[in-house]
Amino acid sequence: MAFTLTLVGAALAVGLELLEALAIVLAVGLTRRFRDAVLGAAAAALVLTLLALALGPLLIARVPLEPLRLVIGVGLLLFGLEWLRKGVLRLAGRRSPSSSFREFVDEREALEELPAPAPGTADWAARAIAFKGVLLEGIEVILIVTVLAARPGGLAPAMIGSALALLAVLAVGYRLRAPLQRIPETHLKYVVGIVLSAFGVFFAAEGLGASWPFDDLALAYIALIVLAVSQAQVAVLTRGERRQAKAVP
Amino acid sequence: MSAARYLRKLVLGETWSLPAGLALALVATALAERLVGPQGWWPAGGGFVLLALVLVALTASLAGALKRC
Repeated sequence: MAFTLTLVGAALAVGLELLEALAIVLAVGLTRRFRDAVLGAAAAALVLTLLALALGPLLIARVPLEPLRLVIGVGLLLFGLEWLRKGVLRLAGRRSPSSSFREFVDEREALEELPAPAPGTADWAARAIAFKGVLLEGIEVILIVTVLAARPGGLAPAMIGSALALLAVLAVGYRLRAPLQRIPETHLKYVVGIVLSAFGVFFAAEGLGASWPFDDLALAYIALIVLAVSQAQVAVLTRGERRQAKAVP
Repeated sequence: MSAARYLRKLVLGETWSLPAGLALALVATALAERLVGPQGWWPAGGGFVLLALVLVALTASLAGALKRC
């Protein structure tokens, strides 16, 4: 159960963050030059690899197991609850849906206003935008995967999930724009919020001396409880939205 | 967006109420663990205390939207 949930959680979180990075790189490549977009993205990938190499062993080797569980739990809860809060607001229509395609269009519009580089010279503006986009989205990926991989037995599913997500995003990138519009990002991000929050509660409670009935199976019933409560919140918010819409003449 | 602002948004999210609620939930759970001790009902029930408090923190972070209902 823990293996599957870690794999799914890592794959979805990494995939969705990489999609947003891909939208920026595609926008830079299509508006300016692909060579500069790829160079900027590759430089960011290098920085992220160094960060992952530094952060992973530091967290796993230096922090004792019991406090580590609490650290992992709190980290996952910080990310998971934020994704869940946004997911509830989006599903209730209180926030615009998540869309990498919209990000792609916005980025292209902003880039078109920049002056084009002279032929044969490096396009530093394009490189910097691709670098920043990949770096900012990538830091969240590194943090989520590190905390998922840091728990006992978490390394393999976190790595497999991340690799699957990377392949999926590269496939989407190869097919370019159309698939970007079809991905139900709002719902997937909501699912990631539930999975990360369930893991977070599970580990934080263990770090505080509690143990869960049925061991790893607890992840399933915690996720179901979080799903039920957040769906109730969505229902209340949606009802309020409809009531407000009716009240407006 | 400045680096400090980005880092704050990355770690704490868009609203202060959620990390603050989470911090309160963790402190309350740790206090409960101290009060009950490792021999009582804590090992079997402590996780559910934290789960309930985390869900209260999530609901509190949505309070602004819920109030407008």
